[in-house]
Amino acid sequence: MNRRLFVLACATVVEEMVPLMPEGAEYEVLDFGLHVNPEQLRQTLQQRIDALTAPYDAIILGYGLCSQAVIGIQARQSPLVIPRVDDCIAIFLGSRDAHREQHAQEPGTYYLTKGWIEVGDTPFTEYERMIQQYGQERADRLIRLMLAHYTRLALINTGQYELEKYREYTRRTAERFGLRYEEIPGSTALIRKMLYGPWTPEEFIVVPPGGIVRYEDFFPPSGDAGSPG
Amino acid sequence: MSLKDSLIQAIAEMQEEEAIRLTRAMVDGGASPMEVLDAARQAMDIVGQRYEKGIYFLPELMMAGEILSQMAEIVKPLLAQAPAARKHGRVLIGTVAGDIHDIGKNIVVFMLDVNGFEVMDLGVDVPPQKFVEAVKEFKPQVVGLSGFLTLAFDSMKETIKALEAAGLRDQVKVMIGGGSVDEHVRAYTGADAWGRDAMAAVNLARQWIGG
Repeated sequence: MNRRLFVLACATVVEEMVPLMPEGAEYEVLDFGLHVNPEQLRQTLQQRIDALTAPYDAIILGYGLCSQAVIGIQARQSPLVIPRVDDCIAIFLGSRDAHREQHAQEPGTYYLTKGWIEVGDTPFTEYERMIQQYGQERADRLIRLMLAHYTRLALINTGQYELEKYREYTRRTAERFGLRYEEIPGSTALIRKMLYGPWTPEEFIVVPPGGIVRYEDFFPPSGDAGSPG
Repeated sequence: MSLKDSLIQAIAEMQEEEAIRLTRAMVDGGASPMEVLDAARQAMDIVGQRYEKGIYFLPELMMAGEILSQMAEIVKPLLAQAPAARKHGRVLIGTVAGDIHDIGKNIVVFMLDVNGFEVMDLGVDVPPQKFVEAVKEFKPQVVGLSGFLTLAFDSMKETIKALEAAGLRDQVKVMIGGGSVDEHVRAYTGADAWGRDAMAAVNLARQWIGG
């Protein structure tokens, strides 16, 4: 029997979810731009959840902690399921651990995926606006500051789509901004688990109907993040 | 409109050359360096509000930072001559391990500096042990830990633990800031306080050190 699922996801994340979406699952896509304003993202998520009339077996958020935007969210009638990750990069890489590992290797990494390239406003797209607004010389000065300490531009290959176009874009962008291009393997493992389970306490926060997503769900006071809450 | 109001507006509107011209005009007209810096502070408030409302984006924050540092170059020689040039105290600051973001941190360094604190900036991706060593050598009263990513929260916690392990925790006040840092994060990391912006950092340092 199919579970009644509702997926509420960021435009970048949904790109990776749609090909794997279970039959009958409903989903809604939220604007990528919301991520820069956590308060607005929180309000929007809460509004959309409140707007769902019927109870679902689960409302799955295609989000991570995302600058704490998900803290305080609640679903009155349905359980809420959120991957226990910092942000979408971990979702694309397949796990929180994979993200932390990549990050520890090279903290100055800017990650791109199909979704980020297509809908993202990144410093690289912002650069065009900066030239228009402030002129070439200032735009160059600003982008250098914005990308200070960034060394690597990594395209995450989740294996879900033809990559050549995005590879081309990422390579070109890396070259233009003096970053090292790298393609790193992604994974659909976490996305599959988000959509099909199992929602283990190590990898997921499952909030019962009426419960509230808490900071401690992501950062247990003991310090062993990821341990069953 | 007074020169000072024009300056505030020029900074807030990202008019770099105009802001520099007005800063010089204020200084030439005998304005005190603190008055010029107050204009900078008021303008940064406006820029911060516009950023929060989604009117301004990261490039505007950078642009404002650029204007500010040029203003500081003009004003600093005057600050050194002022009778209150004595440094109030020492603040050690850095972006914690695993985080390379320093836009906010640099603004904090700037504001602490122009407000009379001696600042040692360890840069970005600073391992806990490096903070420990610097506390021993520099002997700051305040340590500021910066981080933009939520990944930095654990690094902040580890840095504070390292200070404890080295027996230095009681000698310093620790403030944290950046990204989505809030009271939850303060409690989790064991910091003494957190701040929303650069002025909050200055106020905390003042509260702890005086000045």
